[in-house]
Amino acid sequence: MARRIGWAALLAAGLLLPMRVYPVLAADILAWALFATAFDIMLGYTGLLSFGQAAFFGGGAYTAGLLTQRLGVPYPLNALAAALAAGLLALPLMGLAIRRRGIYLAMITLAFGQMVFYVVNEWRSLTGGENGVQGIPRPALGGVDISSSTAYYYAAFPLAVLGLLLCWRIVRSPFGRVLLAIRENDVRTETLGYAVHRYKLLAAVLSCALSGLAGGIWVINHGFVALDAVHWTTSGLVVIMVLLGGMGTRLGPLVGAALVLLLRDFISTWTDAWGVVTGTIFILVILIFRQGIVGTIERLLEARTRPAPAPAPAVEEVASPHRS
Amino acid sequence: MRTTALLGPAAGQGAVQLMHGKVVLAVINDQSGVYADIGGKHGVEAVKMAVEDFVKKYGPNAVGGPIEVLSADHQNKPDVGASKAAEFYDRNNANAVIDVPTSSVGIAIAHVAAQKHRLFLNVGAATKALTNEDCNKYTFHWAYDTYMLAHGTGTEVTKRIGKKWYVVYPNYAYGQDMNRSFSAAIEKAGGKVMLSDATPFPNETEDFSTFLIKARTLRPGGVTVLGAMQAGQDLTNLVKQFNEFGLRQQGINLAIGLLFISDIHSLTPAALEGTIYTTAWEWNLDKQAREWSDRFFARDKTRPSFTVAGNYSATWQYLEAVRRTGTDDPDKIVAALEGYKFNDFFVRNGEVRKQDHAVIHDAYLAQVKAPGDVKEPWDYVRILNTIPANEAFQPLSENTCHMAR
Repeated sequence: MARRIGWAALLAAGLLLPMRVYPVLAADILAWALFATAFDIMLGYTGLLSFGQAAFFGGGAYTAGLLTQRLGVPYPLNALAAALAAGLLALPLMGLAIRRRGIYLAMITLAFGQMVFYVVNEWRSLTGGENGVQGIPRPALGGVDISSSTAYYYAAFPLAVLGLLLCWRIVRSPFGRVLLAIRENDVRTETLGYAVHRYKLLAAVLSCALSGLAGGIWVINHGFVALDAVHWTTSGLVVIMVLLGGMGTRLGPLVGAALVLLLRDFISTWTDAWGVVTGTIFILVILIFRQGIVGTIERLLEARTRPAPAPAPAVEEVASPHRS
Repeated sequence: MRTTALLGPAAGQGAVQLMHGKVVLAVINDQSGVYADIGGKHGVEAVKMAVEDFVKKYGPNAVGGPIEVLSADHQNKPDVGASKAAEFYDRNNANAVIDVPTSSVGIAIAHVAAQKHRLFLNVGAATKALTNEDCNKYTFHWAYDTYMLAHGTGTEVTKRIGKKWYVVYPNYAYGQDMNRSFSAAIEKAGGKVMLSDATPFPNETEDFSTFLIKARTLRPGGVTVLGAMQAGQDLTNLVKQFNEFGLRQQGINLAIGLLFISDIHSLTPAALEGTIYTTAWEWNLDKQAREWSDRFFARDKTRPSFTVAGNYSATWQYLEAVRRTGTDDPDKIVAALEGYKFNDFFVRNGEVRKQDHAVIHDAYLAQVKAPGDVKEPWDYVRILNTIPANEAFQPLSENTCHMAR
């Protein structure tokens, strides 16, 4: 019951968000929350630390932006096309990257991210190079007017929620359980007869496709996209969001994304050095609450309910952050 | 984004009807990067000075409410600039965004202005795209553009110094446009661009040696002019390296696409002696300009570059338009500015061209003085001749703005 009330409150908060904060920022939170949650499928549930996620977020953003600007593809088809493009891009890149683990995987994905950055920078006739893609219109399927920021927020909301539900469904499915096993010990998982490589690849491709969807939602929100979207700092930011909120928790990435964006917005009204403040908070969280904000709260709640026979479903138990 | 000046009384008493009870002007420019010296904080200061002078002249109820000046650093990134502009228009009810050097950012903000139906008074961005393919009803282009620079400098240097050019340009909207505009002007004057190369922007390595060595290898092929289209800090780096390589002694002359007084000040006139270039204005152009510059110097301790002065002019003319029309309704202000002819300390024989929103005015062909001719600090420039307004800017027959057709 309490759980249901919690979800209803979260949904209500989502629906009321643009009345409390600047709608453009609110839609940014949707996009980044989806991006971070999608990335957590790889980072928190499969143990794949990628430093090149900007390639898929930005790749999706460029795809949606160009399709809308040049061919007039309406929302939400442009955002869905972004997901498809990012997924297709992930297939070869991640197919190669997941052959390695740990720091090697991080370096390979970083290198892929940089390669995508340089391609986007040099392919000027398509991407506009340094100038980016400017003046992307905002047509919608069925001629619905979503040109105001608030209208767009409510148009983006169902798509982002659908994306989030899909992320949560993936990690709680039997498939997700295998991913957890891979995260804990991939050699043992393989000996149990699972095709670890294929599981990793599917997880990565799904994660990247949903990151592309987030990029699509983001680009239509702003009406332009430039090199920053594919820059490595974007890859870094999403890692920070996930760690801050708590990796391997259901709401952690969402909380992390909202927190970083709201902090940035709040701090940048009086200083441009917002990175110093968010950086300090990040370091403190990592030093003191290693499981991130949501991870720590979950653990405290768990400790409190432990004396009674645990009512939480088993999945919840496995989904809590790993403690090695 | 900071509130930097709040002037005037409570709203809604004067003859002017304001939509949100106050006039909000938002300066967006580069305050930390390669273009910080040519505008940056100085550009913000000029807008504040214009507001103060305006209130001094017309009294505290000049526009029927307080006038607020906001500013933000766009870091030379189009997405940062466009987000800031959208935020200023939406959240702060900004009436106009002013300045915005870096053409890629300027173009991004022009699109935002068109979408939000609010004014964008561009001063800092040079690209003529703002009055051509990216023109729109709410965007005005003050001070200068790539056509003006190329037409003045490209033609004159080809005639006086050398016919075969090697052009290096920063690889974004402004540089690409400068490369095209200069090539056209040089060919029209009977010269030829033998080769042109794009350099990274912003040039994080600050190293231009690859291109300078290349210039040397082109010398046997008859290339005598190196056309540098970089601006601000990139330009000062390039000129220093040009002098270190001793290219002038090897028969390569340096032509500079865009030169600001602040560049000459940091490089010293000795490094640029004899350089011919086109400028929209100089601080000691005449008595009127000098009087204003002295007042600016008193508060900012620098001599203003022409985009800094342009910011003042744009702010002043915007506020005048609000007074004339009795409203800050953007559509009525646009109508009031279109076709408006005016002169101020910055603009001579000026007209806000209705067809493409270029603010045309006299430009000047200038030359950097020899160190021996410098009579006082910042006195670095000799005006060779005046380019009349209708020649200095792109003729309407060549214009591709949809409003011109």
